[in-house]
Amino acid sequence: MIRLRDVRLSLGDPAHGSCARFQLPSFEVDQGEAVALTGPSGCGKSTLINLIAGLRRPEEGEVNVAGADLGVLRPSQLDRHRGAHCGMVFQTFHLLAPFTAVENVAIGLRIGGMRKVAIRERAREVLERVGLGHRLNARPDQLSVGERQRVSIARAVAGKASILLADEPTGSLDPQTGRDVFFLLREVAAEEGRCLLLVTHDSALASDMPRRFDCSGLVQRSGDPQRKEKVAR
Amino acid sequence: MSLIAMAWRYLMFRWLVSLLTASSIALGVALICGVVALRHEAESALSRDAGLYDLVVGGKGSPLQLVLSSVYHLDSPTGNIDFTEYERLRRDSRVLWAAPIALGDNYAGYRIVGTEAHFFDLPGREGNGRFFELARGGIYKDPFEVVLGSYVANATGLEIGDTFFGTHGLVDLPGAEVHQDFPYKVSGILAPTGTAQDRAIFGSLASVWEIHETEERIHSAIQGSALLGSRRERQATAILIRLKAPGLRLWMADEIRKRTEGIAAIPINEIMRFQRGIIDPVQRALLVIASAVVAVSCLSCLLTLHQAAERRRRDIAILRSLGGSRLEVASLVFLEGVILTGGGVALGLALGHGGLALAAGPIRDATGLVVQSWRMPTSELLALGAIAFCGSVASLLPAISCYRRTPIEDLHLTE
Repeated sequence: MIRLRDVRLSLGDPAHGSCARFQLPSFEVDQGEAVALTGPSGCGKSTLINLIAGLRRPEEGEVNVAGADLGVLRPSQLDRHRGAHCGMVFQTFHLLAPFTAVENVAIGLRIGGMRKVAIRERAREVLERVGLGHRLNARPDQLSVGERQRVSIARAVAGKASILLADEPTGSLDPQTGRDVFFLLREVAAEEGRCLLLVTHDSALASDMPRRFDCSGLVQRSGDPQRKEKVAR
Repeated sequence: MSLIAMAWRYLMFRWLVSLLTASSIALGVALICGVVALRHEAESALSRDAGLYDLVVGGKGSPLQLVLSSVYHLDSPTGNIDFTEYERLRRDSRVLWAAPIALGDNYAGYRIVGTEAHFFDLPGREGNGRFFELARGGIYKDPFEVVLGSYVANATGLEIGDTFFGTHGLVDLPGAEVHQDFPYKVSGILAPTGTAQDRAIFGSLASVWEIHETEERIHSAIQGSALLGSRRERQATAILIRLKAPGLRLWMADEIRKRTEGIAAIPINEIMRFQRGIIDPVQRALLVIASAVVAVSCLSCLLTLHQAAERRRRDIAILRSLGGSRLEVASLVFLEGVILTGGGVALGLALGHGGLALAAGPIRDATGLVVQSWRMPTSELLALGAIAFCGSVASLLPAISCYRRTPIEDLHLTE
């Protein structure tokens, strides 16, 4: 489902003296697999997520997601591929403030290319699934942080994406709400056999995941004496 | 949810900024609409009136003043001309139609124009039928019967059979002498013509002469001066002429100037000169001001959209992360600009033409110009096209900026 090989990517802006290099020899995830991405801040967890989502392009190597080599796709094809195959959940929810919960989910579906007549019904259905059937018409500022993250999860899974990419989804939540959201993500991912890649600093949550991938050392900053290469699997 | 609906929702989300931006565009558009429409309407209204007659003959003075007083019922007459000149002109084989007018009195500020009954036989400008049509009643038969212009009938509420007294002078002044011994009776009301004739009261020439000769005799008696022994040579304030061919205007005018003490003015020439000399420079200045307002409005629109796009970098990045293409997010920003500009233009049109509709009555009262407020001349459509183009360019710049951005760095922005 996801395969990265010999991926190299420059990060930061050399003109501003902040040069770093992302390097990943190999990383694979099968369909339905759930992987926790761990490691200290700045180690490359989010970069890995963004490479898989096609938000970043590698300078070298191959990024193959859902059967497509992202390196050869044109920007518009990359956007469509992301909309069709990847659902993203962010630490700060990233909901659109002017729109209600159901509209936030519907916009995701519309952009994903779903037929207009089916969108509203699907958005309602998936919000009910994450326990927000009673908050359909609430705007983000009227929702609690936990509810916002549920809307964000609903938006990610509504389009039937085969890959869920969650970048520290519990980072802004209190421990109990964080655990609730974590288990919800696990459940909705497992229900339809989706891959789940979850970035977390919470070792307890990471240990609850069937597989853990330590991203430490993926990013080498200029002048860094250690150069660690990791091979997963 | 369509892109238009999303753009609309974003605009409503910051409704105050949107409203202020659209209002500033509307203000510029309203100014431009007002100035352009007023200019066009003034031109066509002035030409419409001036085109009724090929020549106006009157006493010595300014030709423009003669035209304004006898065609538009504005300004004071230049002086009188012998009635015999009218009789001579009427017999001229080149003259299609001629009528004398005598001024001197008013009713409620509307001039009482003494003329002959065949004044109402003035042919239509295109040669189709008569220019004047009666809405009610008939042309006067007795000397002290009058026919009202349509606007006068509406403004005064006078109906067929009603009587009133004329007041001395061409404008309604407090304390002016009222001709109490000479009541006028309304015999007919004209259909609207869309010209200054709607604001006049037409009576017989004989009534005007009789009133003023009687008044003169009374004043002479009061002052103890001798009455004129014999009946004076009768005079008219002006003679209105329609020629068989407009090409004869200059020759006839020249002939009349040489033959008489008075002048002969060609109304359309005088009005064109008046427009070019006085009205056009003022209108051009107003147009420059209005264009400056529109330019500032478009810049303000650009600034608003740019700020909105900057504030929404995170939202744009979210849409991209959901699979939205560059073109979609750029279209969303562009549509916001188009809705703002379109709303501003529509509001400006309503304001401009609505304002013109409100001002039409006072303009008509003050100048006699009949302004058709809701007509859009080609020049206005061109101006609106230019504004729409500027608005689209102003919308396109932030849209291009959004198109070029990569979402990755903006995804880390907080709300």
